Amino acid sequence: MSELSTEEQAIVATVAGFVDRDVRPVARDLEHADSYPGELIDQMKRLGVFGLAIPEPYGAAAVSTPCFVQVTEQLARGWMSLAGAMGGHTVVATLIGEFGTERQKQRYLPRMATGEVRAAMALTEPGGGSDLQAMTTTARRDGGDYVVNGTKTWITNARRSQLVALLCKTDPAARPRHAGISIVLAEPGDGLRVSRDLPKLGYKGVESCELSFDDYRAPAESLLGGTEGRGFAQMMKGLEIGRIQVAARALGVARAALDDALRYAQQREAFGKPIWKHQSVGAYLADMATSYTAARQLVLHAARRYDSGRRCDLEAGMAKLFASETAMQVALNAMRIHGGYGYSTEFDVERYFRDAPLMIVGEGTNEIQRNIITSQLVARGGVGS
Amino acid sequence: MDILVCVKRVPTVGGKIAVTPDGQEVDTRMSGFTISPHEECAVEEAVQITERLGGTVSVLTLGPEAAIDQLRDALALGAGRAVLLETDGREFGPAATAAAIAAEVRSHGYDLVLLGNEASDTGDYQVGIRLAHALGWPVATGIKNLTTSADGAVARREYRGTEESYELPLPAVITVKEGINLPRYPSLPGRLRAKRAPVERSAPAWQPEGLRKQALRVPAVAGHQAVILGRGVDAVPELLRVLGELGVL
Ligand SMILES: Cc1cc2nc3c(=O)[nH]c(=O)nc-3n(C[C@H](O)[C@H](O)[C@H](O)COP(=O)(O)OP(=O)(O)OC[C@H]3O[C@@H](n4cnc5c(N)ncnc54)[C@H](O)[C@@H]3O)c2cc1C
Repeated sequence: MSELSTEEQAIVATVAGFVDRDVRPVARDLEHADSYPGELIDQMKRLGVFGLAIPEPYGAAAVSTPCFVQVTEQLARGWMSLAGAMGGHTVVATLIGEFGTERQKQRYLPRMATGEVRAAMALTEPGGGSDLQAMTTTARRDGGDYVVNGTKTWITNARRSQLVALLCKTDPAARPRHAGISIVLAEPGDGLRVSRDLPKLGYKGVESCELSFDDYRAPAESLLGGTEGRGFAQMMKGLEIGRIQVAARALGVARAALDDALRYAQQREAFGKPIWKHQSVGAYLADMATSYTAARQLVLHAARRYDSGRRCDLEAGMAKLFASETAMQVALNAMRIHGGYGYSTEFDVERYFRDAPLMIVGEGTNEIQRNIITSQLVARGGVGS
Repeated sequence: MDILVCVKRVPTVGGKIAVTPDGQEVDTRMSGFTISPHEECAVEEAVQITERLGGTVSVLTLGPEAAIDQLRDALALGAGRAVLLETDGREFGPAATAAAIAAEVRSHGYDLVLLGNEASDTGDYQVGIRLAHALGWPVATGIKNLTTSADGAVARREYRGTEESYELPLPAVITVKEGINLPRYPSLPGRLRAKRAPVERSAPAWQPEGLRKQALRVPAVAGHQAVILGRGVDAVPELLRVLGELGVL
């Protein structure tokens, strides 16, 4: 069953074809070499993947969020890093599309749609990523500029972005604290330095970096939307699509692990029969497929809710929480089914196992998602109908 | 350079081909329709030429209304304009097909017409040649390498182990073969644009031709035979002998 239009189905099928023909055969080598997948990213640009959240007249291929989820899932099924390369970019495109001034839209969106300009989002600081309101990076007004000082960390795609959506304090003394938070659209320039590439367990090939701002000057018109103090609310909206995107990445990892395990369980024999016929292996497969399917429904549910224009932090939070925990469990079970080969770097399963935890931690940890879900349950008076 | 590419809606054939009970059509209930790889390459070639030299790519099909799906596939690959020569479902023979395309070429005016070397269903190998004859244009068929400039084209093909090279003035008709290029993926914006692009339509009259289809029959294929050489390592000596016999060792 598909709720997508025929064109959107064709879009998902096109990306699936790209993943099978061009991504899966090379993903393992690129991952282990930890090399930047320049050629695949260029192909994604030509396909139009970076413009999927950018509507006309700025872009040419804005799709529904359920379609966006399925495209992201396909990319992550091939290699999660590729889906990561367009994740933050999409959040920034959504922020500019929703809240940007006309000038900001004109300046960035057409070039972001083609991938000529790629964007990163910078929230997390060395001192903490969960308690964003405690951030210490500041943008102080000085004549026609903002002067930015502070350090951000774990900023994915930072080296290869021409635009950083920077969450910072324009009024550090403001109470409540979020009233002093703004987003600055920062372009590379003096005083903005990528100070370090962070080594990591998985999610190889794309860079996650520390960024330091040292008297970096941005013109006043680079404040998203033009009004100070709106940044926290803007980013919470951006994170709704960000969390749906991360949930979709988790689906892709789970799907790849399930597909590999199902194939292997039919090829590998033990005690004179294919291992899927051993009841405990068969039961793993049944559970993996069941939770993957449930996760997928939950993510698509959040995607539909997002498109309805209503607040969807509860739904996006549930989707991210459940899909990422599912991906971890499915990757672990795929490893069990593969026996020793599951632990081998000559197979893909160990990569799924290293990639899955990112979706548990990134875009707001799952503990934070539970906090959001709980407070929305109370605010809305239950899960709703 | 204004280029016309002709494509044909044909059944997708992968595994076994089945024929409808009345013996008139390939049974497509489980397979669907597509354009042949030759024609996909023709669209790609045209798009590449206009990317280099400027100009337009139009795509044409002669077929039932449903063939609009195939026009849209070609639009998604980068063609900018689509023409449907609509039939009532009856198969046009190669002469009538060429005549109908020639009428469109005369009324619109093109510098180059690209076709696949042959349609993958009827395999007549005639439409390109008949079209060129009707227009009084030069034609080269079975082309696997094409260099085009504003003044003319150099078309190359393999024929029995030697390469033949033709220089053609424009306008010309060229039929191409799979392998001339690697068709790109349709871009995602291309997919969405294709949905909205208008399709120009006309309905050429069907004409009887010398040949008529009586019925289709799937030829009996010689059954394949598998020989089990042995199990596990015991099979190795026998396997080596067979590979040696085949001359691959
Ligand atoms: C590979 C990678 C890529 C990333 N990319 C980006 C990026 O592009 N941009 C960006 O801005 N960030 C990025 N991040 C950062 C990520 O969003 C943060 O790591 C995450 O939000 C957690 O922040 P923290 O690491 O500071 O942990 P902390 O906030 O210090 O949390 C530590 C632990 O305490 C728990 N905790 C904290 N507060 C609470 C609470 N109130 N209730 C319950 N538990 C709590 C957390 O859940 C966690 O278990 C990336 C991270 C990684 C690993």
